[in-house]
Amino acid sequence: MPLMRTRRPCSLAALAMVNALGRHPDEIWPRLIRGDQSGFRAREDLIPGRKLLVAEVAGALPAVPDRLRQYACRNNSLTLAALEQIEKPISDLILAVGRDRIGVVMGTSTSGVSDAEIAIRHRVATGALARSFHYSQLEFGGVAGFLAELLGLAGPAYTISTACSSGARALVSARSLLALGVCDAVIAGATDSLCGLTTNGFAALQVLSDGITNPSSANRDGLTLGEGSALFLVTRDAGGIQLCGVGESSEAHHMSAPDPDGFGAEQAMRGALADAGMRPAEIAYLNLHGTGTSLNDRMESSAISRVFGVSPLCSSTKSLVGHTLGAAGAMEAGFCWLVLREPSAGEIDLIPHAYDGQLDPELVGLRLVGPGMHVPTGPVMTNSFGFGGNNCTLILARLPA
Amino acid sequence: MIPVHLRKWAAWAPGIDDVRAWHAWCAEPKELAAEGRPEASFLPALLRRRCSSLTRIMLTVAFECCGEDERAQVGSVFASRHGNINESIELLERLALQQPLSPTRFSHSVHNAQAGLFSIAAGNRRASSSIAAEADTFGCGYLEALTFLERAPESSVLLVMADVPLSAAFAGLVDEPPASYGLGLLLASDGPGTRLDFGITAGGGAAPRPRWPDALEFLRWLESPEPHLALGAGLRRFEWAKPSKA
Repeated sequence: MPLMRTRRPCSLAALAMVNALGRHPDEIWPRLIRGDQSGFRAREDLIPGRKLLVAEVAGALPAVPDRLRQYACRNNSLTLAALEQIEKPISDLILAVGRDRIGVVMGTSTSGVSDAEIAIRHRVATGALARSFHYSQLEFGGVAGFLAELLGLAGPAYTISTACSSGARALVSARSLLALGVCDAVIAGATDSLCGLTTNGFAALQVLSDGITNPSSANRDGLTLGEGSALFLVTRDAGGIQLCGVGESSEAHHMSAPDPDGFGAEQAMRGALADAGMRPAEIAYLNLHGTGTSLNDRMESSAISRVFGVSPLCSSTKSLVGHTLGAAGAMEAGFCWLVLREPSAGEIDLIPHAYDGQLDPELVGLRLVGPGMHVPTGPVMTNSFGFGGNNCTLILARLPA
Repeated sequence: MIPVHLRKWAAWAPGIDDVRAWHAWCAEPKELAAEGRPEASFLPALLRRRCSSLTRIMLTVAFECCGEDERAQVGSVFASRHGNINESIELLERLALQQPLSPTRFSHSVHNAQAGLFSIAAGNRRASSSIAAEADTFGCGYLEALTFLERAPESSVLLVMADVPLSAAFAGLVDEPPASYGLGLLLASDGPGTRLDFGITAGGGAAPRPRWPDALEFLRWLESPEPHLALGAGLRRFEWAKPSKA
């Protein structure tokens, strides 16, 4: 076991998750490890005149209780579908530390915009918003406010919205709230839901793939959108799976395109390693941001080669669950958590990089995870890079208690 | 409580745009105008042309809070309850009419648009966050700024809180007087400046909503001899104290 300098314990004590591959980590994990791409479905109602593949959560979702109907929207139902998985540990925690000592930090890029779309269509057609519409469904703060109201939590409750790094940043803030002593536990994670606004917006930016995203491939043609929710219970317990390192940067470059040299990505990865007190060679697996756009894949790969020299084993999971945007940072931290969950004989199973196998020659040196690969257990890293040039890298590791 | 040193503040509202005007407003507050925007003449013309009122307000107080060197070095937290929702509503109206979206407008409608523009305009590559928390946005933004000092105690952090009224489509949906305003606070773990202590406690039920936006209630308190301030009308209360100088 390498020597690690964790500043203070920050335990990712429980994980809840819902995405196109399932309604529970136990359902999602075996599909991830098989590289299962069957979660994508075609939708024709999102972009006028275009059939679009998306990784949507199929089937009915739990309803927001009537007493909180101002928060009733698809985004909060997705959060609720995740929350139900960790009701027991949350109620135990409320008994142990009290409602005043538990905070909520959520990430999102959409909040309830899919419901607002219906309300606005109604207004354009009739002059009045749909009666079921409440501002709390759409305002970003409502994503965290909903959970705090539902559970009666009086700790701080806020939403971070920094585009595709939102979910990673929620975990960063949760760790600091514990270190500051403001909370004894934090429910932290992120939820994003498919909607017309983001699909049409990304279509306007000409970054959407026509099929399933094909990250790192010479044949890639853009990203595929997804939706879902990932929630963690974050506590000060020692041992178990810990958030060991966080790295952050801004790009000072462009509102919707990364710096092609990847300096912001490099700074975020180096920051996380320094924060964790780890050497690059210790990282056993890297979950790529890996959106499947040429610009992202190339800048991320060049940043990796500068930080690591020899690339760690990497995979993008966006070709399995789509790009869940504001939720992606928490979702992919959740995948890293699952990788670390059950080492067997000192080894961890890695999630394969699902693509057509035609590596972009410009990404030479990038080591992608193949099917069935496992490695000696070690710390894992996940990258999240957002619009507006907001980058965040996390390192998770399993530590002795 | 958590101590912090307030290095500098800057605020903007229509017609109240320098320290003297703010001192006068704090002593004798009067109705805030709903609409208006600062010149923001420090921004390059090309960038300024694309800036919404909210962006101009946020960047104006941000630039006023820090000198040129500091501007590139601070961490930054942008807090806004409504953010760019007015821009999103415009995009949704276009979608309702099956019209295509402008890629620039879409990328400027994200909640962290102002953080991104600040990073570009100031050449700032440090950590940055953009938050919202319904009626508690100012208190939670202040707390998020403290999380930056927790991770990087040697750096200062810029907190910018601003809002503009919701557009006509949503007017009346939120119980608050329409106002355009911004407050910037430059905070540090130590060093010069006014020491302020901060904490959060459980709320004692429905407290009366203060007359002015929380950020401006905070500014009025800062400029007053009052030792304590409590804000927040819901589940939690945000408390500030000026430790007495012994």
